[in-house]
Amino acid sequence: MSAPGGIEYTRVRDLHGPLMVVEGVSGVGWDEFATIVLDSGERRHGLVLEVNRDLAVVQVLEDTAGMDPGGTRIAFSGTPLRIPVGTGWLGRVCNGRGEPADGGPPVLGPVDAPVGGAPINPVRREPPTEAVLTGVGAIDVLTTLVRGQKLPVFSAAGLPHLQLAVQVAAQATCGGEAFAVVFAGMGLTHADAAFVRDGLAERSAAGELVLLLNTADDPVIERLLTPRLALTVAEHLAFEEGRHVLVLMTDMTAYSEALREVSAARGEIPARRAYPGYLYSDLASLYERCGRIRGRPGSVTVLPVLTMPAGDITHPVPDLTGYITEGQIVLSAEVHAGGTYPPVDPLGSLSRLMRKGAGKGRTREDHPPVAAQLIAALARAREVRELADLVGRPALSAIDRRYLDLEDAFLHRFLAQGTDENRPLDEALDRAWDALLTLPPSQLGMIPAALLDAHRAAGDDHPGGEGTPP
Amino acid sequence: MTAPAGRHDAAPDAPADALAPVRAELIRAARADADAVLDRARADADETLRAARAQAASLLEQARRDGARDGAAEAARERVRARQDAWSRELAARAEVYADLRGRVRAGVREALADDAALRARLEERARALLGADARITAAAGGGVTAETPGRRVDLTADALTDRALARLGARAETLWAP
Repeated sequence: MSAPGGIEYTRVRDLHGPLMVVEGVSGVGWDEFATIVLDSGERRHGLVLEVNRDLAVVQVLEDTAGMDPGGTRIAFSGTPLRIPVGTGWLGRVCNGRGEPADGGPPVLGPVDAPVGGAPINPVRREPPTEAVLTGVGAIDVLTTLVRGQKLPVFSAAGLPHLQLAVQVAAQATCGGEAFAVVFAGMGLTHADAAFVRDGLAERSAAGELVLLLNTADDPVIERLLTPRLALTVAEHLAFEEGRHVLVLMTDMTAYSEALREVSAARGEIPARRAYPGYLYSDLASLYERCGRIRGRPGSVTVLPVLTMPAGDITHPVPDLTGYITEGQIVLSAEVHAGGTYPPVDPLGSLSRLMRKGAGKGRTREDHPPVAAQLIAALARAREVRELADLVGRPALSAIDRRYLDLEDAFLHRFLAQGTDENRPLDEALDRAWDALLTLPPSQLGMIPAALLDAHRAAGDDHPGGEGTPP
Repeated sequence: MTAPAGRHDAAPDAPADALAPVRAELIRAARADADAVLDRARADADETLRAARAQAASLLEQARRDGARDGAAEAARERVRARQDAWSRELAARAEVYADLRGRVRAGVREALADDAALRARLEERARALLGADARITAAAGGGVTAETPGRRVDLTADALTDRALARLGARAETLWAP
């Protein structure tokens, strides 16, 4: 991350906000990384936003406050930002541009890698298989996360998405195989950053976590680097070190807003809601860095968290994210208002690759039919609830009332979970059965008869297990 | 004149107290009632005592469980905190060693530059190669040179050379603390 033994430029023509215009430069390219030395000896860093003849516009990561144009030197590295990669990152807590925030030495690594990375060659991609278990019942059973998948969490302001992200980061495992978590926090408040550090202290102490924290008061361009740094570190841990790596990136809306701000500073033509026209390809350049590579061990699984401004799922950030990713976990304000954590909306959530990671030989034979049946039953329950709002509960048929009971059992016996409760998949599936068996067998047509009989026999003491249509 | 016959004949057969049986029955009934009330009271007291004992045992069991859980949670927290503290100290020690390495290398480079005129000539040559023959070259206080032309500068001081060399050293510096 330091300048080579090259030339420093000393003619700073202008400083405004985070931007610095340097003149007399030659051979400088876009996105090049720059090291800036102040008169006092203080070092700052920057990225080239624009080059025109001998002028370069540099965005200073730490802002230009206190800089004297007469005593500032800028050295360009000749390449976009590169970082050392390796297992030296494990257990470290760094700021959004990879500098230590834990009192340790700089993070060192045997090799460097460009943070821009390169998405995996589609020809060399191995389809995702095998689950990453999060210890959160609703995710593991209904929207199973598969190694190499990209599955975003769609949330809204005021919902506990950060808590869920931290819980997943603290609990996730890969069936006993070498595993690591890279957590990239973007635009977090200091309180949120402290919450993340505390929540992940155990995993960090175990040397299984890389924590990159960009806080809300950090420069916006650093926010653009944070997820790229996280993915660069993760790619090396996965494809060179053979670990399965889960990358959590929160909050991608804060990232997109930073992209909008930098785009405006570059004078680019704004597109939808003033986001740059390349928002889709920029997000894809991050999300598509997940996956598995043929002939290499390890995998990179990405779980980005984004908040939908005003809960609007058609907002450009969730909209474009939805085009790229393989499903979504939607958090619901209604479930949250009902006091249930995690407030996952089962009908809005979907993991498109779930079939590749769930079922016999992967999770449990009954997993896919139970999940499908539960979703179908909840969809019917929602219709029944709407009907009950119109005609009143007493006017419902006995079967319809059972569906309302099922919804209740789903919320309280299956979905509800403690924020520090690591629920094994077996227990989560048993709870799903428990909720399903509030319905009579005639309503459980998506579950093979043999499985249903086996579970009804096992759960004979369950009050709903004996259920027959009244 | 004789006394009426019935008066003297009836007297020996008449009960001493005609209300005695009633009184006796009332007493018996009252005693039976009292016994029943007493029995009930005893039973109530026993039941209350049993319930209280059961509740006390259950509370004690719950308290034991809560205590064990809280203790385990606190022990787990303490363990994590201890591991964190140990790791923080290790990181701080690594940072200190790394800073020490930097300081020693700087001192070594300064010394080498002060003693070796040929090395300084090579630095000047390098500076001219980068900035051109008309570059103004100044000897730096800590060893090495800086060279300047309008708008450009090259830093070949001992400190700058050290920093670049350490950055190139990369993970090899980890041998300082690797077992």
